[in-house]
Amino acid sequence: MKVEKEALLKTAEEMKNKGFSYLVKITAVDNISSLVVLYFLRNLNTGEEETLEVELSPVDASVPSIMHIYKAADWYERELKEMFGIEITGRSAPRLLLEKWNGIEPPLRKNFEWGKPYKAMD
Amino acid sequence: MLIGESWLVSLLNSPSPYSEALGLFAYAVFVGLLVIVVDYFLGWLERKIVAKAQLRHGPTMVGKFGLLQNLADFTKLLAKASYLPKRADRLLFTLALPFMLALAIFLILLLPLVPSFGFGNFASSLVLVFALFSFTPLFIFIAGASSGNKFAEIGSQRSVLMLLSYELPMIFVIASLGILAKSLNLFAIVQAQSKMWYIFFLPIGFFVFFVSMLAELERSPFDLREADSELIAGWLTDVSAPSYTLALFLDYTKTFFGSLLMAMLFFGGWLGPVLPGLAWLLVKALIIAFFIMLVRATAVRMRIDRVLRLGWYVLLPLAVVNLIIAFIV
Amino acid sequence: MGQALQGDGLTTKINVGPIHPSTHGVLRLVVELDGDEIVNVEPHIGFLHRGVEKLMETRNYMQDLPYVEKLDYVAPEAYSEAYISAVESALGVEVKERAQYLRVVLLELQRIASHLLWLGTFLNDLGHFFTVFMWAFADRDKILRLLQEHAGARMFYVNMRLGGLNRDVPPGFEEEVLSVLGDIEKRIPMYESYLEKNEIFMERTKGIGAISSHRAIELGVTGPVLRASGVNFDIRSSKSYYVYDKLNFKPQVVSSGDVFARYKVRMLEMKESIRLVREAIRHMPPGDAVGMPIRLIIPAPKNKEVRVYRETPRGELLIYMVAGQQGPYRVSFRSPSFINLAALPEIAKGAHYADLFAILGSLDLVIPDVDR
Repeated sequence: MKVEKEALLKTAEEMKNKGFSYLVKITAVDNISSLVVLYFLRNLNTGEEETLEVELSPVDASVPSIMHIYKAADWYERELKEMFGIEITGRSAPRLLLEKWNGIEPPLRKNFEWGKPYKAMD
Repeated sequence: MLIGESWLVSLLNSPSPYSEALGLFAYAVFVGLLVIVVDYFLGWLERKIVAKAQLRHGPTMVGKFGLLQNLADFTKLLAKASYLPKRADRLLFTLALPFMLALAIFLILLLPLVPSFGFGNFASSLVLVFALFSFTPLFIFIAGASSGNKFAEIGSQRSVLMLLSYELPMIFVIASLGILAKSLNLFAIVQAQSKMWYIFFLPIGFFVFFVSMLAELERSPFDLREADSELIAGWLTDVSAPSYTLALFLDYTKTFFGSLLMAMLFFGGWLGPVLPGLAWLLVKALIIAFFIMLVRATAVRMRIDRVLRLGWYVLLPLAVVNLIIAFIV
Repeated sequence: MGQALQGDGLTTKINVGPIHPSTHGVLRLVVELDGDEIVNVEPHIGFLHRGVEKLMETRNYMQDLPYVEKLDYVAPEAYSEAYISAVESALGVEVKERAQYLRVVLLELQRIASHLLWLGTFLNDLGHFFTVFMWAFADRDKILRLLQEHAGARMFYVNMRLGGLNRDVPPGFEEEVLSVLGDIEKRIPMYESYLEKNEIFMERTKGIGAISSHRAIELGVTGPVLRASGVNFDIRSSKSYYVYDKLNFKPQVVSSGDVFARYKVRMLEMKESIRLVREAIRHMPPGDAVGMPIRLIIPAPKNKEVRVYRETPRGELLIYMVAGQQGPYRVSFRSPSFINLAALPEIAKGAHYADLFAILGSLDLVIPDVDR
């Protein structure tokens, strides 16, 4: 299901009210021309699956946080920020989760350059 | 002869004070050697018992039945670097372990290992032994708090907290023994069992004493002070290898002391036919040590608040019941 | 880092890990304690982050297979099967029928082995001195020997191929599996009576770290942790793959949601797995189970999206893959340990410090799987 970025929070809330109470995973795909963020939702009673796809422009990408709707989104959103450089708005700036360095572009973007030296964070 | 006269009085009254003093000195050296040999053996025994419970063989390669394995490990530990943490209180941290070890050996010295000879032959020697023994948690607290490590600190705090749970039931059991033997002299208590061991009169008392002793010896399931899965090594976290040999030594000395004490208070100490008294005592103590080690191989560690609950809700009422039984008997 | 952790005066902050006996790998927990009560736990992960998802984009499909197994070193079979299955659906390869049965046998054997390892390490976390650990390892070893007989390796098998397995099982394999299962079936009640009659074990696990089913869904926990909270959800039944529906698989659910329930679910799952393997062996058709050679790659349709849901021993694994020509364009793992660890602060809040390790153990984390 394709969702506009502005409508994400509303749609997520609707989905939760419809019984899709379980968040399986948040991840993203870099299609070079665009970034697609995917929210995998599930209705545990019926076993139905639903995926929310939000298309973003690769420059200054940001999505609103859904943490207040799905508590499980916490770590996934942090991972998203770190790996894809997507800003998560509407939540406190989290500590880096997986990688403790800075000075390089997000590693899972397709324009990531291999072999560049990095500076470890203290 | 056995009861009443203190060794000090007999020493003063003896025609040749030097020979008496020399005899006591020789006795002390003998006990010191005995402690070293038995500790070493207990270390080997524990590895073997735990291994057998776990479908393993334990040490087999070094020496006959792996008897020399611990010597090899001991040498290795001594060869390791010694390290003093920056935040530690230098004096207390280095002195606490040797002092505890000295205390433990002194406690064994006070026990009646052979009939009518030793340092503990005076009235209320049992009380003195217990008073000194209760100092151990205090020294553990000092050792833990002085290392400046948070894990050590928590371990030592637990040690003092646990004192509240087992000390009182233990004292009640001692009181019941005093009532039965009509004396608190260790020699007299052993001698009073010549007709019947106290285990047959006070089985509940023995149970309470055994459990409290496990707690006092920081043996599993009460090894909360060095709970390895929680506190890394508890109050021993910052102790480096050469000092750690002292800690191991201390552990087995205390186990030896605990088993000796139980053998004396409940199983008639040196009393027994044919064999010499000391041999009987050692056999009994080793059997008790065997059970202490068996508990380690099978138990799950308790939580600190549960230990306190056990002490106050289970052990203390049982100890009171035991006291009443002692009155009736 | 570099300076000591400071509490706010009333609380103590302790640094547990990254090197600590109970974190099962390199996990760092910053624990804030008020007395013996946990105020907050903050897991720090990433010590084992190897960027597997990025690495896999640079290699072709079959070269990626060994990487996937390294994610979960306790149940590598489950991971390589999930990945190969994702590749199969990307390339449109059918799995041979005998291979389907054999995969179920291997997966369930792997599940029993993984749960046995969990049992031993969990008891160690509770402060047991290695006895159950050794017993469980002896049993696990029998299963590893079976898997080795098929794959040739004890730990990382790499025995899945497109459309089947790298080879059929050796003759006499079925009988050996049945006899090993007979042994383990006798041992499981022994573990249960040994532990559940143990007063201290019961009081260390009952009522500790309990979460309601509502809370479990909210936190997104998965696998045995979810089912221990009374949520009847198992990928093997709700999104059945291979022949699980033919074998009458039933999810094992316990409702109390505490550490004991998580232990119980895993014990029940082992019994169910034993039953499943027996059924699978009974119904296994003869024929060919060998898959395609490793060098043969059919070009995949460009940008085909694949989702594979699998129930690994630790919980639900989702592989989301965008297929490229020769290798994955993007592959993403929803690892069960990751989300279970994310729920740890919520579960452990208010518990005693000693119970933190009971709870941590009951989540059955594999750290490389968390970090990827």
